[in-house]
Formats: sequence, structure tokens, C-alpha cells
Amino acid sequence: MMELIGEILKLMVLSGLALAGVLVILIWKKGLATKVTYLRFLVQAVSMVAIFYLFTYPVWQLIILIVIFVLPLFIGRFFCGWICPFALIMDAITLIRKTVKVRYRLLPDKLNKFLHNLRYVLFLVFLIIPVALYLLDPPSSFDTSFLLAMLLSGPFEPWRILVGPLIPLIVPWEGPLAISGVYFSYPYVQEVILYSEVVFSELIVNIIAWVFVGLTFVGSFFVRRVWCRFCPTGASIAVVNRFKGFKWAPMLHIDKDEEKCTKCGICKRVCPVQVTEVYDQKGGKITTSMCTLCTRCVEMCPYEDCLKLKMGGKTVFKSRNWLEPSTIE
Amino acid sequence: MKSQSEEKKYMPELSEKEVEELRKAITDTSQRVVAENIEKMKKADQNRPEAMNYFDEIADFAQREKEIRAAKKEGKKVIGYMCLHAPTELILAADAIPVRVNSGWYDASKLGDRIVPVEVCPMVRSTIGAKMIALSPYLELSDALISVLTCDAMTKLGEILSDYTPVWAMTVPRVKDSAQSIRLWNEEIKAIKAQIEALTGNTIKGKQLKSAIERTQKATKAFRRLQDLRKGPPVIMGRDAMLVNQTYMWDDIDRWTEKTEALCDELEKRVSQKNWVCPTDTPRVMITGTPMIWPDNWKVPTLVEEANPQGILVADELCSSERLLYDPVGVDEWSISDMLNAIGERYLMASTCPCFTSEDGNEDRINWLLTKIKDWNIQGVIYYVVRGCMLYAMEYTRVKKVLDRNNIPVYYLDTEYTREDVGQMKTRVEAFLEMLSARIDI
Ligand code: SF4
Ligand code: SF4
Ligand code: SF4
Repeated sequence: MMELIGEILKLMVLSGLALAGVLVILIWKKGLATKVTYLRFLVQAVSMVAIFYLFTYPVWQLIILIVIFVLPLFIGRFFCGWICPFALIMDAITLIRKTVKVRYRLLPDKLNKFLHNLRYVLFLVFLIIPVALYLLDPPSSFDTSFLLAMLLSGPFEPWRILVGPLIPLIVPWEGPLAISGVYFSYPYVQEVILYSEVVFSELIVNIIAWVFVGLTFVGSFFVRRVWCRFCPTGASIAVVNRFKGFKWAPMLHIDKDEEKCTKCGICKRVCPVQVTEVYDQKGGKITTSMCTLCTRCVEMCPYEDCLKLKMGGKTVFKSRNWLEPSTIE
Repeated sequence: MKSQSEEKKYMPELSEKEVEELRKAITDTSQRVVAENIEKMKKADQNRPEAMNYFDEIADFAQREKEIRAAKKEGKKVIGYMCLHAPTELILAADAIPVRVNSGWYDASKLGDRIVPVEVCPMVRSTIGAKMIALSPYLELSDALISVLTCDAMTKLGEILSDYTPVWAMTVPRVKDSAQSIRLWNEEIKAIKAQIEALTGNTIKGKQLKSAIERTQKATKAFRRLQDLRKGPPVIMGRDAMLVNQTYMWDDIDRWTEKTEALCDELEKRVSQKNWVCPTDTPRVMITGTPMIWPDNWKVPTLVEEANPQGILVADELCSSERLLYDPVGVDEWSISDMLNAIGERYLMASTCPCFTSEDGNEDRINWLLTKIKDWNIQGVIYYVVRGCMLYAMEYTRVKKVLDRNNIPVYYLDTEYTREDVGQMKTRVEAFLEMLSARIDI
């Protein structure tokens, strides 16, 4: 019975996905994509469901991981702006905050930059912890292949930290919370539980998990995209952009026309991850690895052609006189 | 409010009779000048757009004065401002009427000489003079004035006018591009909001503010539409467009928007019929520099468009015209604090006033000029400065260098608030236009 409900739910989600997919294509085709923020929500929702289905098959996880690692070479952190389900959760919370008209808090620019760099440390720490734990408690017979197997697919699966944000609210496999055969989870909660289990008792582990969920929820209520400021997955994606020699690599990037910019400051204010480069830079390619390519700045810049989202040499989307479409509405 | 009898800091005590006489003389001239200017504009374009009739009417101050008086009777407040850095959205949100009160009357500037030396900017002197004899209806009807301390003359102007009307000063940071500047300015915006609320007795809530922003955005939309229409072959005389832009300073915003949209509809039709106001090879001129205020200070646009060879003004970079309304308030979230920040940024950051400087100097203005030159296909620039306007005069050298590098001829036209130099200026303007036409022919 329970499973049946679960199946029905899955089917409903699947049909919703198909519908949304068609909608996205239609909107883009018709050139109605002027309100990019809404389009982005749609894409995020579609991706979330898609990822949910991909995760139904364990083999996909690794492939997704490879995709996450390779694609950014060319499309920057597009994933963060448009696909990541955790981001969707945070954006949804932001939407709630907007409707109740509470103003977000800004992180000081220095702290923001610091957190941005901290992600690389977090990234390493999470990779090292499993190794350390393993070394502290080595299996009786030493076997390299066993060690590798333990590291890669054993209880800790360190690479899982990278798919953390991909874990949407509903997970097909066993999540910490099950309702009617549908498992619910939250990004990173499984990792949090896993790592704290080594040290703490079950009760405390549960508390830690809930505190984590609570903190990130509240955090993203007050600070837009709070997790993205230091997310280790974002690191894997951002890292290639950091090397000077590879600045050519991201084919997808924001481009600015210095002469068109009146320094009105809108792009700086609306950026959900507080990127200042779009405002500060003297035009040209914006290569900062902080940018998630969400195109909010392009959407809000009120000067025609000043900001562009470019793919290769081609403009995908550009800033325009956004006062115009208001008559159509 | 201060009583008239309180001792004045600056203003002399004039006898009723003297005031009356002076006002009569200047008002008569003013009415003549308005009529003359409009007559000239009508003649310049035989086939003038119908929609311009409305703007001709509103250009004569009397009609709007009547309206404002009626509104005041019903309890509405009028808040004047002297510079486009004043956040008009807040005035609208408090259900008050914003009017810009700078004076363009030549003769009034002579009166101003009695209080400040002739070296001072004539626009400021003229505003002082206008106040002395109660010449400008908008200045007289204002319950309070917002004075943004941009240049030196403006700073003192507010002080002088405070002899009559409460003046709220807003300190504008000279370097806009820094965290502490925007913090200061946002505080100023909040303080002005409180002042406006106190005067009008209306609290500015999110809903009103949002609607004020949206109304202004609609006006911006119409405004931009008009300027965009001027990018192609000339479909409207520059003076006509400038008059439309300028009437925004005192007209009712919603009606202004509607009428401007109507004008644009008409112009669009003309574009599709390829119905141009002058030959398409007429030199395309842009004016930048000191603001030009209706009705008297209309001589340069008139000269350019009535010169032989003729020029056509297709764009300008004047805070009395195209800079008034081009930049919209970009709101990210409709919470009151974000709206206030957005308003703050729009009035500080987007401005290309020469009162600002930064590491690269006033780069924003240079960039904006270059963009205008490209997008509006400008063939020559007239750099207009009234004597006494330090900031625009000083920035000329830099602008010239950049324009020279871009191979755009620029002509420095300095003048006074007077009609006497028209003849001499005509020769200068014609020589410049001659040169431009010669360049186009090659
Ligand atoms: S930074 Fe992390 S949480 Fe944010 S969008 Fe990217 S992957 Fe998702
Ligand atoms: S929003 Fe556009 S014009 Fe404004 S500062 Fe940013 S890039 Fe420049
Ligand atoms: S810089 Fe622009 S595209 Fe990049 S994250 Fe910020 S708003 Fe999004």
C-alpha cells in the first residue's frame, strides 16, 4: 500500500517533469525568456526531478560526478546557477523571504571572499577525513584493492560530498526520514550523520543533523544562497577557473561592455552571491569563480547590451531596457 | 515654518512696489519669450507632431500653476528640488507634488547679482533673483525645497533660499564608488524620507513606494522610447524633444507619461512613412554641459537648429533633459529597505554629474558620452558652459581629449544668461556646423 502511494507520487512527479520540460523549451523558443528568474526556477525544478530519477540508478552517481567535473571546464558554474537542487531549495526560501518582505543580510565582502577560498579547504578536509578514519581503524588484512574499494564505495564514499547538494528533498533510496515509502533527505545530512556517528551516540547524531538542517534553512533565509558561498561542490567547479592559463576555457561567461556601463550599481546589489567583479571590472570577460552564471545581473542591468551571457563567441542573453516588457504583461 | 518677518540671512528687504514692478517687467518678457520660442519651434517643423500641442500648453507655466494651486487647496504639499539627485519617488509616495525649481530667466540673474557676485553660476543667480521677486510659480508654491549639495553654487543657493522656505539639504558624496559613500547617501535618503513624511503627514509605506517607483518607471519607459526614436534619421526636432523632456520637471507624472507615449506613437508612424523633419544628411549634434532651463535659456538649441547650414540635435547629456529620467530604479526585492536602497543607488550611482570624481576621474560621464555618440550616431558635440560653472568647464579638457581620439569634433561654447551674445554665437555655431557638413560630404 505504502509503496503504491510512493509509486503514484513518483509518476506524478515524472509527468510534471515532462510538462515543465516542454514549457521551458516553449518559453525559450518564443523569446519570452525576458523574466529569466522565473525561467531559472523552472529549469531548476526540472533538473531536480531529473536528478531524482538519475539517482534511482546507483551507477548514475559517478557519471554525474564526472559530468560535474568536466563540464565546468567549459560552462563555468552554470550548474550552480541553473541546476543544483540545493540551490533551488535556497532560492525557494529566498522567495518566501521576499514575499514576507524581510530584507536579506549582506556578508561583508572580505568574509565573502574568505568563505570562497575556504571551500577548497573544506573540499580537502572532506576528502581526507575518510582516509584518516580508515587509517585510525585499519581493516585486519591489508589489501590495496580493498582499501581503494573502501575509500571509493565503502561507508564513507568521500566523493559523495561532491554530490551533496544534488540530493534533493526527496531521495529514492533510504533517507533519514521516510513518509509513506517516500524518503526525505536534505543535502549533506547523510554525510553529517555518517561522520558524527563515528564519535557520538545516536541521539546526539540526530540533534546534530537537525541543527545542521535548521542552520542552513535559517541561514539561507537571511543570506541569499548562503551555502554557495563556501560549498565544496562549487569548489570543484570553480577550481578550473582559478588558473590564469585557463581563463579562456569557460565558454559560457558574463561579458561586460565598459562603455555602456553607467556604474549604476544594480548588478552588484542584485547578485545573490555578492559578486562585485561585474560592477568593478572594466569590461570584458568576467572570470571570477564566484559567479554562478545565474544571469540575475544581466536581467537587471537597465542598459541595452551592457551585460551579456556569452557562449563561445555568441550572445545567449543580454541586458536590455527591461522597462519595455511591462506593457506586454 | 519660518515667518517672513524673521531676519533674513542673505536676502535684502525689497519694497512691495519694487518687487511688483520687477516681477511685472520680467513676467511680461517671459511670456513673450515662451510664445516666441514656441512660435520658432512651430516654424522650424511645418509638419509638427500633433501631440506637441499638449507640451506647448504645459510649457506655459500658468496652466500647471493653476492645477498645483488647486491641489494645494485640497491639502496636497508641494516639494521643490533643485537637482536631479533628489529622490522624487519619495515625494510621489507621500502623495506630494515634486517640481524642479531651477530658473531659466535671463533677467532674473541680474537681480541675483545684488546678493552674490557675478562670477557665480548664472543659473543659481537667476534662481535667487526669481525668488526675490516671486517670479517662478513652482518656487513660490513649494512648501519645502530639497537641495542636493552638488556644486558650490548649489550648496549656497539652498542656504540663501532658506530665507523663505524650509530647505532640506542632502549631502552627496563626491566619490560615489565606495562603500562609505553609499552608506552615507542611503542615510540621507532615509532622512529625507522622514522629512517628507513629517511635512506631508503621510507615512511612506511599501505599497505607496512601490507604486511611486512603478509610476516613475513607466515615465522612464516613455522617456527612453522618445530618446530611442531619435537614434535613427531625424523624426523630431531636437528642441521639441528637449521641451518634452523638460516639462517632466513640473508636469503631473502620469499625464506626462501618457502624452509622451502618444507623441511616440505619432513619431513611430512617421518613421514608418519615412517622414523626416529635415534632410537625413543634416549634421547630427549632441549638446553636453550645463543644464539649460526653459523658457529663456533656449538660445543654443534654437541657434543650432536655425543656423545655416542647419544642424539637428538628436541627443544631449544635460541634467535638464536626457539625464532627467533615463536611469530607472532597479528593485531586486520589494521590501521597503531594498526599495530605498535601490532609489538611493539610482540617484547617486547612475548620475554622470561632473561633481563626482574617482580613481579614474569622472570616467562614467566619458563612457556615457561615447555610448551616446555611437548609439545616436553623433557627428559633432557642442560643449555648453555658462560662465561660472566651474565643474563643467574644468571637465572640458578631458572630454575633448577623448573625443579627439575618437575623431569627433567638439566645440566649446561658453556664454552668459543674456540675449546679447546671440549674434556673436550664431557665427560661431554656424562655423562649426559648416565644418561638420563639410566632413559629412567627404
Ligand atoms: S555552490 Fe554548491 S550549493 Fe551552491 S549551487 Fe553550486 S553546487 Fe549547489
Ligand atoms: S547593472 Fe549594468 S550599468 Fe549598472 S553597474 Fe552593472 S553593468 Fe554597469
Ligand atoms: S555575477 Fe551575475 S551571473 Fe554571476 S552570480 Fe552574480 S548575478 Fe549571477
